Amino acid sequence: MKDVTLGQYYPGESFTHKMDARAKLVLVIAFIVMVFLAKNFLSYIAVMLCVIGAVLVSRIPVSKMLKSIKAIIMILIFTGLLNLMFYNGETVYWSWWRFNVSLEGIIFSVKMVLRLVLLVMGTTLLTFTTTPTGITDGMESLMTPLKYIKVPVHDIAVIMSIALRFIPILSEEVDKIMMAQKARGASFDTGGLVSRAKALLPILIPLFVSAFRRADELAMALDARCYNATPNRTRYQVMKFGWRDLLGALGTAAFVVLVVALNNNFWGAYRAVESVWWLFAV
Amino acid sequence: MNDNARATQEAVITADGVSFSYRSGEYVSRGVREINLEVMRGEFLVILGRNGSGKSTLAKLLNGFLVPDTGKVTVLGTDTSDDDKVYEVRSKVGMVFQNPDNQMVASVIENDVAFGPENLGIPREEIEKRVTAALEIVGMSEYRKGSPNKLSGGQKQRIAIAAILAMLPEVVILDESTAMLDPKGRREIMETVLKLNREKGMTVVLITHYMDEAIEADRIFVMNDGEIVSSGAPREVFADAESLKAAGLELPAASRISLKLAEAGYDVPFAITDEELADSVCRLK
Repeated sequence: MKDVTLGQYYPGESFTHKMDARAKLVLVIAFIVMVFLAKNFLSYIAVMLCVIGAVLVSRIPVSKMLKSIKAIIMILIFTGLLNLMFYNGETVYWSWWRFNVSLEGIIFSVKMVLRLVLLVMGTTLLTFTTTPTGITDGMESLMTPLKYIKVPVHDIAVIMSIALRFIPILSEEVDKIMMAQKARGASFDTGGLVSRAKALLPILIPLFVSAFRRADELAMALDARCYNATPNRTRYQVMKFGWRDLLGALGTAAFVVLVVALNNNFWGAYRAVESVWWLFAV
Repeated sequence: MNDNARATQEAVITADGVSFSYRSGEYVSRGVREINLEVMRGEFLVILGRNGSGKSTLAKLLNGFLVPDTGKVTVLGTDTSDDDKVYEVRSKVGMVFQNPDNQMVASVIENDVAFGPENLGIPREEIEKRVTAALEIVGMSEYRKGSPNKLSGGQKQRIAIAAILAMLPEVVILDESTAMLDPKGRREIMETVLKLNREKGMTVVLITHYMDEAIEADRIFVMNDGEIVSSGAPREVFADAESLKAAGLELPAASRISLKLAEAGYDVPFAITDEELADSVCRLK
């Protein structure tokens, strides 16, 4: 079985892999904002260049990136079609009952699909290059200021860490229970939807019982290791901002500026391209 | 072979007339009754007993997880019923549990070992040293950056021991820590425990129902039905086969064979280890 704890992590030693998890988290947020800022096709091209650059730097194989798009292909098709059909555009090409296909609709739905694709690619780059433990540590560190408004930041981090730790254990347990029930004559892959759902019950109940028992023992083990002994808990894992993080931040900032500039018809570039596009479209 | 030289006369844990029972509503189940014992610094103490004999309850009383109904448990002079000193007691008396999977919190081994010292607020550089030392003692240094998911039961349990050692306890209690392991894993843990005790002078309390794990002990307490029924050096305790039988325990194979041979008229003295038995059998004419 694949090691679930690693999730989507794609081991590597690239520039992006070596970046600080906190920096990557912040940059992903900046990237999401960038995607939503983009208004016209030129700025979308800028965002695309940003994604391509990031993928090249992270040395994640293109096939791997495309797989992440494949996972949302249905959502993409739906979004595209719905926007295409329901957009109230001026230049209507085809219409039937409440469905209108217009030029504006086509442009809009292409933009929406593009936006989703870019969003997914940018964010999966984070999970491809950062271990779940790294993401947890990064999130804890970023949430530190919330401590001052009494948010139990450390407890949240420990919960996330324990969840990650127990996912493979519980999934192994599911396998064991399934085998045990099969040995008693249970069948999980026959019958209709309802009977299949019912067949899951003999798996879920033992799973819950065992999860609670584990939780009980784990609570005792946490106590034995003096969890919550002092509010001045120290951290073993240190995170350092490095030159890579600075470079990454500068690069992302440059792209955000570029997107904003292109949005505002800088140098009339947009108008020129758009008129070409219109000519082409009509 | 069981020289008591390591064990000192200084008691680290003292239980004085301790009784405890579990209550839930009307129902009261028996825990332990009138326990008196002292754990001496540097000794290897084994508490033997079958399921339900109260040995785990006793273990939890020794590190303050449970507070006695009557009587008193003191750890290095601190009463375990003192609410302000709970963490002091727990950091001094480390406890390793039965299921190796249910005591790890992190997905990376070094982070798991560091968890205890982090909770105690130890400075980073010091934690680093402790993690290195603890993994070294249990022989798991090479797995430092790895994930616990790929390890065997014995290896996981050694990590659990390292995680306790990193808190620099005075006593390590192993609460049936070998019960879920295969023979190889059990051997690994016993070797680790003996090394800890013999080489590092760590005080160890091992709670088990396996007689053969008690052979190397300095002292044994046998529990049955919530009470200590016999105690002493392994040889003395094992010699009293009747009371062991009453406690639902079985002598190690070597002892049983030596007794049977003696019964059959051979000149074989009572043996507790395989080596002893082999020696005396070889000497037979």
